[in-house]
Amino acid sequence: MLSMKHITKSFATDNVVTHALREINLDLAEGDFVSVTGPSGSGKTTFLNIAGLLESATAGEYWLDGEDISKLDDKGRSRMRNQKIGFIFQSFNLIPDLNLFDNVDVPLRYRGFNAAERKKRIEFHLEQVGLASRMKHLPSQLSGGQQQRVAIARALATSPRFLLADEPTGNLDSSMAQSVMALLEEINRAGTTILMVTHDNTLAAQAKRQIYIKDGRVQEITDNRNIHNLAVG
Amino acid sequence: MFSYYLKLAWLSSKKTWGMSLLMVLAIGLGIGAAMTTVTVNYLMSANPIPEKSEQLYYVQLDSWEPTEPYFENGDPPEQLTYRDATALMQAKKATRQVIMSGMAAVIEPKNKDALPFMVGGRASSADFFPMFNVPFLFGSGWDAQADEKKELVVVINAELNERLFGGRDSTGETLRLAGKDFKISGVMARWNPKPKFYDITTGAFEDVEEVFVPFSLITEQFFDRSGNTNCWKPSESGFQAFLDSECIWTQVWVELPTAADRDAYQGFIDAYAAEQHKFGRFARQNNNKLSDVMTWLEQRQVVSDDASMMMAMALMFLAVCLLNTVGLLLAKFLGKASEIGVRQALGASRKDLFIQHLVESGVIGLAGGLLGLVFAWLGLSAIKAMYGDWIRDLAELDMNMILLAIALAIVSSILAGLYPTWRACQIQPSQQLKAQ
Repeated sequence: MLSMKHITKSFATDNVVTHALREINLDLAEGDFVSVTGPSGSGKTTFLNIAGLLESATAGEYWLDGEDISKLDDKGRSRMRNQKIGFIFQSFNLIPDLNLFDNVDVPLRYRGFNAAERKKRIEFHLEQVGLASRMKHLPSQLSGGQQQRVAIARALATSPRFLLADEPTGNLDSSMAQSVMALLEEINRAGTTILMVTHDNTLAAQAKRQIYIKDGRVQEITDNRNIHNLAVG
Repeated sequence: MFSYYLKLAWLSSKKTWGMSLLMVLAIGLGIGAAMTTVTVNYLMSANPIPEKSEQLYYVQLDSWEPTEPYFENGDPPEQLTYRDATALMQAKKATRQVIMSGMAAVIEPKNKDALPFMVGGRASSADFFPMFNVPFLFGSGWDAQADEKKELVVVINAELNERLFGGRDSTGETLRLAGKDFKISGVMARWNPKPKFYDITTGAFEDVEEVFVPFSLITEQFFDRSGNTNCWKPSESGFQAFLDSECIWTQVWVELPTAADRDAYQGFIDAYAAEQHKFGRFARQNNNKLSDVMTWLEQRQVVSDDASMMMAMALMFLAVCLLNTVGLLLAKFLGKASEIGVRQALGASRKDLFIQHLVESGVIGLAGGLLGLVFAWLGLSAIKAMYGDWIRDLAELDMNMILLAIALAIVSSILAGLYPTWRACQIQPSQQLKAQ
C-alpha cells in the first residue's frame, strides 16, 4: 500500500541546513492502522505531509498504491490526493462559508462526479457520522466534535484507500476524542488504511502499530496487535 | 465546474463584501471614465457613410497664393474657387459630382400668426442626394435639369416639415424662402451623419441643414451664402467679380466607383491645373488631391488632439484603477490562503485553483463593467450638458460600446487578477494546514 525508502527532508536557509526527516523507511499494508508519536518538532507533521503528498521529500523513494510519487507532477499529485488519500486535521479545516453539504462536496467536485452521485455520497457519509440532519448548517453552528465528524465525512466521501489524520482529537475533549477514535477504528475495520499523528499515548496505543519519531528518525515501531493479543490472552 | 466556480466567486465576494465593493467601484470608475472618452472618440472617428466612403472623393486644387501654401504642411486649400468648381462640374468627368456651399435664408410660414425665422441651408447640385444616400420620407431631390434651369425647388428636413406642415407629405407644396416661393420636391428622413463629412469646414459635428436648394441659384443672390470664404488676391467689386475671383468658398465631391476611375480623375484635375498654370494661376500645379471620406476626415483631424488626449488620460486612469484592483485582489486571495490549502489537500490542482480565482476576478470585472456603464452614461450626460447640442449624437452609448465596456472590464480584471491568482496558487498547503 505505502512504501517509503530512505525518505529525507531538509530545509536550507542561507547558511543552515535543518534536517526534518532522516532516512525514514516504512511499509504500510492494506488495512493497517498506524499511529505516529513523538515530541514536538520531531518531524511527525512533516512525515505526514510527505505521506499525504502535501510536501515533497528531499531524497528517497515513495511508492503509494503502486505509483512512484517522485515521478508525478502537480496534476498527478492532486489526482492521488483526491482519489486515494483522505485528510483529517486537528483544526478540522472546514471551509467556513460553505454549509456541511458543500464542505463534503469539495473533494467530489474535483473528482468530477455528477450531481446525483455527489448527493448520494454526501448524504451517505454525513449519515455515517450522524450529521445528516444538519446538512444545511454552517460549520460555525456545530461543536468541535461535530466539526471533526464532518471533516471525517469529507475525508471519506471519495472512498480513499488511505486516511491521514493529524492530531484528529487534539482540539476535542476526552469523550469526543474517544467517539472520533471509535469512528476511525470502524473506518479501519471497513478496510481503509490509516496513518494518524498524535501526541496522546492512550489513543496511539489503540492503533494496530505505533511509530515513535524523534529528531527526524523512526526510533521505534511497536506492534500493538501482539500486545493486545497478549493482554487478551 | 464553471457554475461551481461562479458559486464560489459569489460566496467569496459576499464574505469580503467591503473589499469586493471597493474593487467593483475601482473598476467601475476606470471603465466609466474610459468608456466616456472612448465613446466620444469612437463616434467622432466613425465612418459616416460606410457603404460607399471609398468611392466618394473630396477634391482639392491648389489655387492658393504662389508665395505661400494654404496649409503649413503644403496641403492644398480645403475649398475651391467658384470658377474652378464650376469648371469641374461642367466637365462631368465623374460618375456623379456635386458642388456646394452653405447658405442661410428666412422662411415665412404660411400661418400668418407664425413669425418668420432664419434657417441654415445648403446650396448644392442635384447629385448631392443620390451621391450621399440621403434618405427621404416623401418625394426626392431635384434633377440636373432643375439645376440648369435654376428652378425654385427645395428639399427640407423632417424636423422642418414637422414644424411647418405637421409632418404630412408636403411635396408639391410651396415654401416661402428668401422672399420667393420654392416648390418642395422632397422631405428628408432623419439623417444626421457624424461627422458631417460632406462639409467640415465650419465644424465637423454640426447638424445637417434644414433646407437644400439648387447651387445654381447662388448667382441669383436670393439668399446669403454662409460658411468660410478665404481670399488671397484682391478682386474688383461686384458679385460677378467675386465669382471670378481667387476666393475659395465652394466644395466639390465626386463619386468614382473604381480605382481606375480615381486615377483617371486625378489625371483630369492635374491636367486642369496644368492648363490653368499656363494662364498664370496654380503656382503649385501638381498639388491637387482626391481624398476619400475617411482619408479626408483624418487629414482634417476631425478627432481633435484634445479628445485623443482625454482618451489617453482616461485609459491611464483605468490602469491606475486596475493597479488598485491588483492590490485588493492580492490581499483578498492571500487572505484565503487556508481555504486554498484545504482545497489543495482535497484534490484541487494548481490549474483548478487558477481557474477558480480567475473566474472570481472575472465576476468582479463583470460587476465593475456594469457599474462602469452607469458611470459612462453619467459621464456622457455630463458632456452633453456641458457642450450642448453639437455633441448630442456623439455622446450616446451604442450596443458596440456597451459590449466593449463589458469586455474591457472582464478582460482587464482578469489581467489584474493574474498576478494575485498566481501568488495564491503558490501557497504551500502544508504550511496553511499546519497554521490553522
